[in-house]
Amino acid sequence: MVVVKLPALIAEQAGGQREFDVEAATVGDALRALPISDLLLDERGNLRRLVNVYVDGQDAREADGLQTALDAAQEVRVIAAVAGG
Amino acid sequence: MGTLLLVGTRKGLFLLRSDDARRDWELEGPLLTGWSVYHAMQDPRDGDLYVAGNNFVYGGTVQRSSDLGQTWTRSEGLGLPEDTGLELAEVWHVEPGHASEPDTLWLGATPGALFRSPDKGETWEPVMGLVQHKTREQWEPGAGGMCCHSIQIDPDDPKRMYAAISAAGTFRTDDGGKSWLPANTGVAADFLPDPFPVVGQCVHKLLLHPERPERLWQQNHCGVYRSDDRGDNWERLEGNGLPSGFGFPLALHPRSPDVAFVIPEEGAENRVTPDGRLGVYRTDDGGATWQLLESGLPKPAWGSVMREGFASDSRDPAGIYFGTQSGSVFVSASEGEEWQEVARQLPPVLSVEAGEW
Repeated sequence: MVVVKLPALIAEQAGGQREFDVEAATVGDALRALPISDLLLDERGNLRRLVNVYVDGQDAREADGLQTALDAAQEVRVIAAVAGG
Repeated sequence: MGTLLLVGTRKGLFLLRSDDARRDWELEGPLLTGWSVYHAMQDPRDGDLYVAGNNFVYGGTVQRSSDLGQTWTRSEGLGLPEDTGLELAEVWHVEPGHASEPDTLWLGATPGALFRSPDKGETWEPVMGLVQHKTREQWEPGAGGMCCHSIQIDPDDPKRMYAAISAAGTFRTDDGGKSWLPANTGVAADFLPDPFPVVGQCVHKLLLHPERPERLWQQNHCGVYRSDDRGDNWERLEGNGLPSGFGFPLALHPRSPDVAFVIPEEGAENRVTPDGRLGVYRTDDGGATWQLLESGLPKPAWGSVMREGFASDSRDPAGIYFGTQSGSVFVSASEGEEWQEVARQLPPVLSVEAGEW
């Protein structure tokens, strides 16, 4: 079991829920289990360019991306990249 | 029944409510905070609200509300098939389907994509006849991306519709979306080596007149045009009162097919109001002559109006509405004769549509 924490804007799209407990082997499995997975993953199933995911503080892109194993991970945190206007 | 104005902004949706007189307005919002509302409309068939909204991190999506914006349901699975080599970038315009198909909606998107929903926006299927059109290699994106921003359906024939893409031009289908014909004869593309190509025109807004569906109007990068034969031929209408053929938005009178409204800008290289004068230009004679309507509008003012930022209602006299990039909303309850500012200091206004509450 891992807890996935969401930023406020997409939590609002998930009925206001900011944290989800999910059973998942990989980061991709954890994100796909969320009701707002379409906002994090594009139509090819890839992580959107400005969505960052940290597994216990470690950037998943610097590990195996969506294939990053969660093993004994406690927390998956979704954070929007600093960008936009 | 009161008048409802849906104002899409770069930072969420605002609603303005008034009564029949359309003089006093109450502002609500922002709703859908964090989303850039490129277009919001009320489906006249059931009163539901639809929003084409984009977020720079989370992409483009369509939201529906059956309770005038209190709660929203998001479409899921919106995207283009991998074998097209195209990926959805932004959603631009959501259009109610034909009256005989009450659950059908249409969605225009970037890059040059049209989608159909058979279930009130829950799911969307790309319209491959247009997405994979044989002329696609000749399409080029405008400054706003290659957006499909105008979708018009013939009220007399559910199988006939029009889609306009910048800068690909106008396309018509007579078979419900299976095949699409370019409908750009007579429309200039002054920015191309051949100024009258088959496709590649930079349409900014296209509207069909519901009382005379063979008549179409378009505000283009290169002029204002009218077609009286379902887009087969177009006549350029500038001069005779219009300070410029360049502009983005367009509005039509709900009953009179000869009456149209534009808000010109100085030109493609200087996209501001001509001489700093914010004005609506109306024609009462099918575009032969144009009159400036500016009573009640501020001056000087450089408040540019986006392609979706102009609308009319169906009342008598018709209400005309526009919102500016500087965050003001102007209303005329007298078909453009008198204007009042009913909201100001909003985020930049991207779209305006009229409905009921």
